[in-house]
Amino acid sequence: MRRNITPLLFLFPALILLAIFVFYPTIATIWTSFLSWRGWKSTGFAGLDNYIEVLSRSSIINLHRSLLKGPPLGALPHNIIWVVIHVPLSMFLGLLLAVLLRRVRGGFLIKSVIFLGMVIPMVVGGILLRFIYDEHAGVVNAMLRAIGLGWMARTWTAYPDTALFALIFGSVWIWTGFCMIVYSAGLEGIPEELYEAARIDGASGFQIFRHITIPMLKPATMTNLMMTVLWDLKIFDIVYVATFGGPGRATTVLALEMYLDLFFKIPSNPGTAAAIATLLTLITLAFAVYMVRVAMVRR
Amino acid sequence: MEGKKISRREAISTAGKIAITAVITGVVAGVGGYLAGTSVAPPKTVTKTVTKTVTTSVAPPTPKVELTVFSLWSGKEEENFLKALRAFTDETGIAVKHVPQTTEGLMIGLPTQFAAEASVADVVVAPWPAWIRELGKEGHIIEVTDLIDPSKYPPSYVKLVTSDGKIYAAPFKAWAKPGFWYKKSFFKKHGLTPPKTWSEFLDLLEKLKKIPGIEAPIASGDSVGWPLSDVTEAFIIGRGSPDLQRDLIAGKVTFTDPKVRAVFEDLVDLLKKGYFSVPDEWTAQIDKLWAEKYGIYFMGNWMTTMPQVKDVKDLGFFPFPETKGAVAGGDWVIVPKYTKHPEEAKKLLKFLAGPKGQEIMVRAGGFLATNVDVPAEAYTPADKAVVDFLKTVEVVPDLDDAIGGEFQRTFWDQLKLLWTRPEMLDDVLETLAEVHTKAVKKKS
Repeated sequence: MRRNITPLLFLFPALILLAIFVFYPTIATIWTSFLSWRGWKSTGFAGLDNYIEVLSRSSIINLHRSLLKGPPLGALPHNIIWVVIHVPLSMFLGLLLAVLLRRVRGGFLIKSVIFLGMVIPMVVGGILLRFIYDEHAGVVNAMLRAIGLGWMARTWTAYPDTALFALIFGSVWIWTGFCMIVYSAGLEGIPEELYEAARIDGASGFQIFRHITIPMLKPATMTNLMMTVLWDLKIFDIVYVATFGGPGRATTVLALEMYLDLFFKIPSNPGTAAAIATLLTLITLAFAVYMVRVAMVRR
Repeated sequence: MEGKKISRREAISTAGKIAITAVITGVVAGVGGYLAGTSVAPPKTVTKTVTKTVTTSVAPPTPKVELTVFSLWSGKEEENFLKALRAFTDETGIAVKHVPQTTEGLMIGLPTQFAAEASVADVVVAPWPAWIRELGKEGHIIEVTDLIDPSKYPPSYVKLVTSDGKIYAAPFKAWAKPGFWYKKSFFKKHGLTPPKTWSEFLDLLEKLKKIPGIEAPIASGDSVGWPLSDVTEAFIIGRGSPDLQRDLIAGKVTFTDPKVRAVFEDLVDLLKKGYFSVPDEWTAQIDKLWAEKYGIYFMGNWMTTMPQVKDVKDLGFFPFPETKGAVAGGDWVIVPKYTKHPEEAKKLLKFLAGPKGQEIMVRAGGFLATNVDVPAEAYTPADKAVVDFLKTVEVVPDLDDAIGGEFQRTFWDQLKLLWTRPEMLDDVLETLAEVHTKAVKKKS
């Protein structure tokens, strides 16, 4: 009997903390999303009104715009664009760098420099992006001028048609270090014997990469995929600092809209902010559950 | 070897699941954590700003109370404000600690504390009347109707912070956005003169554009967005009329009205000709004005206290050409209901709203008094020039400050869009009209 209780006793402190700081706030958020509010005071049950209001806003989904017509497409499509561009690019570059630097002498130093993007706070990353894309002082425009493309120089985050992509590509720089480190760890776990056997059998470098490295890196790929998608879905700080969702809401994302509803409206609207938070959670949860199930089935 | 391989894969897979759990809980806990936190315990306020305590230089009784004051002022403006606070301490023996805030810190941090029925600040100086009215209506700040004499202030400064006959704030500072600032020596070097008419203004812009080294004739400031709204309002008043600005504030016209559209077309015309720079951080733009990268910069009278202005005597301003009005606004003093020292806080409010406190600020420069009892001779020459100009035009409230809320943010954001994509004028005006209509409806 004592043996059965002991593990629970060890779990108890953690469960209390989780209950206070996670479970209760989560339930409170969901409950908040079903109430109507006047400022910080609840005025009654609202049913699905907050959800209907949020989903009918052009700032969340802009039905009058498309990729061809240009931004703003709305916060939700912007989040999806983040996922579609940022995830494959970060993962591909992370894998490429991990493979290239695997046997390079002093490769760890280069990896450390690349990983710096992950070490700096995201708010600092956002400020750096503003500088990087500045028309006169930015490194991006300096590079363009150096290769004779000076006519393209502009403050990339100031224009609605380039701001979103500027943030996404800038974030690739910040996030690639993470993907690279996970892939590097995965590469270290692949037994050398497999490579030796393949070489003896006459496999080419590409064949070895295609049939040994890639399959053996599946767990690392899954981790990178999940982490990057979730990061993209809840992206906030970089957008807040670099563009504040503008210009013309061209870079707004769900987490920023949630923040604005809560803090920038007069009066504040905790109901719609909580509705956005709940929607964001449902989207991330659905993706995460799917990925975990895929991972478990494969195992 | 096989066992080792499985172990690593398991480790990575487990790490992934742990990470997912952490991320999901983090997202969910966001708003909920905040809201829940308000009912569990008062939020802990963290400030990275430097606090400065004003102590008595004479020898009044040992202060038993120390008031905490929040304002948006730092640098030179804070130095001047501390002079007034020091005078208050000398007079009353009440110590005062000033904690400078950022716009977001004050606009967001204060309501957050109020929601928890707590306040770190005993007295707050803020420039947003719509925000103040809302805090008053929600019962978070003390009514000051009996603490001040409304006849001592311009009526509009009192009306802006009055709701249902209750005055919620004391007018403290007045500021104005008189026009374009320029470097006198730069103008002299290139034989330029301040324009008086619209056509002279256009000539000046063309001349400026042709000067080697000039990036753009007019500097465009960026931050959260107010520098762009300031210059836009100058267009609304100057190319439209002061009444047009008032009508927009009252919701009698909106942004798709032909009169408003005509004003924006003038603005767009200048944007398309490349007379305005791409928006950049507003204080960095003053540096560039001084480095002669830009010719002129539309800014408020606080320009005279900016450290980027290397020589204030070399700084000149000219009003928006042919304008009949100018935006003036203010900073108001409020006392949170949750202060632990309400009586002392009220004393400080009365001191700052009174002629004595304001005269100290006026003499320090970059400050226009709201109290009519402050003597005219207290003003510095630069500020007197602004005051003299304001006497010749109609003074109107700041459009986005007066309406506030989502309209303010949208106005700032849409102007950023217009600055880089002037051809999207129709979209911008429609978006503004939609949000503006909702905002004035809610306000009324």
